[in-house]
Amino acid sequence: MPQLNPEFFVSQLFWLAVFFTFLFVFLWRVSLPRIATVLEKRQNKIDENLSSAKELQEQAMEIEKKINDQINKAKLETDEKIKETINALQENVTSQLSSLDKDLEKKVSDAEKEILKSKDDQMKNINNEIVNITKLTVGKITDIEFSDNELNKVIETHKGNFN
Amino acid sequence: MAAKDSPLKQFEIDPISNIELGGYNISFTNSSFAMLITVLVITLFLTLTVNTRSIIPSRMQLISELMYNFIAQLLSDTVGDNGKKYFPFVFSLFMFVLIGNMVGMIPYQFTFTSHIIVTFALAAVVFIGVTILGFINHGIKFFTFFYIPGVPFYMHPLLIPIEVISYLSRPISLSVRLFANMLAGHTLLKVFAGFVVSMPFFTGVFPLAFIVALTGLEILIAFLQAYVFAILTCLYINDAYHLH
Repeated sequence: MPQLNPEFFVSQLFWLAVFFTFLFVFLWRVSLPRIATVLEKRQNKIDENLSSAKELQEQAMEIEKKINDQINKAKLETDEKIKETINALQENVTSQLSSLDKDLEKKVSDAEKEILKSKDDQMKNINNEIVNITKLTVGKITDIEFSDNELNKVIETHKGNFN
Repeated sequence: MAAKDSPLKQFEIDPISNIELGGYNISFTNSSFAMLITVLVITLFLTLTVNTRSIIPSRMQLISELMYNFIAQLLSDTVGDNGKKYFPFVFSLFMFVLIGNMVGMIPYQFTFTSHIIVTFALAAVVFIGVTILGFINHGIKFFTFFYIPGVPFYMHPLLIPIEVISYLSRPISLSVRLFANMLAGHTLLKVFAGFVVSMPFFTGVFPLAFIVALTGLEILIAFLQAYVFAILTCLYINDAYHLH
């Protein structure tokens, strides 16, 4: 087996030492730091992006909260406005109704007064008519002339019987 | 079987240029060449793909980053925060073994990880390093590593030698595992490749199909052994920090 032939042992060990040492030093000093910088740079970038994403998310949440607050505020305001309007309208309606009621009452009382007045007038007229009719009737039947006052007195005494 | 056709011939070392230093033969061989290619592939790949240092990686850059994260994860899972210091070493070891195995999968290319002396040297570096680390971290108390608490006292004369032997055999098991896997895989491929040539008529396609499947398996093993080498190194480093 050629592996056990010591002829080239020293040569193999020598060149192994040379090449492996070179490889080790080169990787240690040049290649690996390079890869490490790249990986570190990438990790930094990722961390940076992640933190900025987190920040943006927080900002978005803040804005959302603000929007919700505004919406709630607007809702409350609207409710208030609606209530106010309803109250105002109700007040308006009640005041208008009461004024209408007053008007109506006044009109009714006026009308009642008118009616009473006209009733009185009519009653007076009726009296006069009765007096006239009685005068005429009595005059035709008996030729006796009564004065109006006398007739009135008689009619007054009998008034209860007419009604 | 003639030496020319031996399945072990692929493991022979041929000097490319003869060099001698202080009486030792340190010729640049096909094994050294494979190591050179391995080192070039790793350094160029890891340097050029990450050259743009872009935050959104290209596919090639992503491969480098995946390898980086793979070993970093492995080290942090087994050793924890203490392991960060050893990351360059474990990463170099993993890449060296992985690409060494992969380069060996190229036909006619030499596999230096199939040489026990290479794998043993790597394992010895890990073993010696970890032992020194253990003494740095725990001083003389590191010897309590061989003392298993919670065992009846009369068992200790038996258990302590077993623990010592198992500790000392770590570099052997670590190196032989990788060496034997590579040796067996490549030998098997070569044996079946011999069948393709020697079998009559079209029947050679069967061993050929087998070779195709086996190559896939070997690539898996190449990765697996590099992974095993790296994870065992991590576990040994962890042992140097945390005694029983």
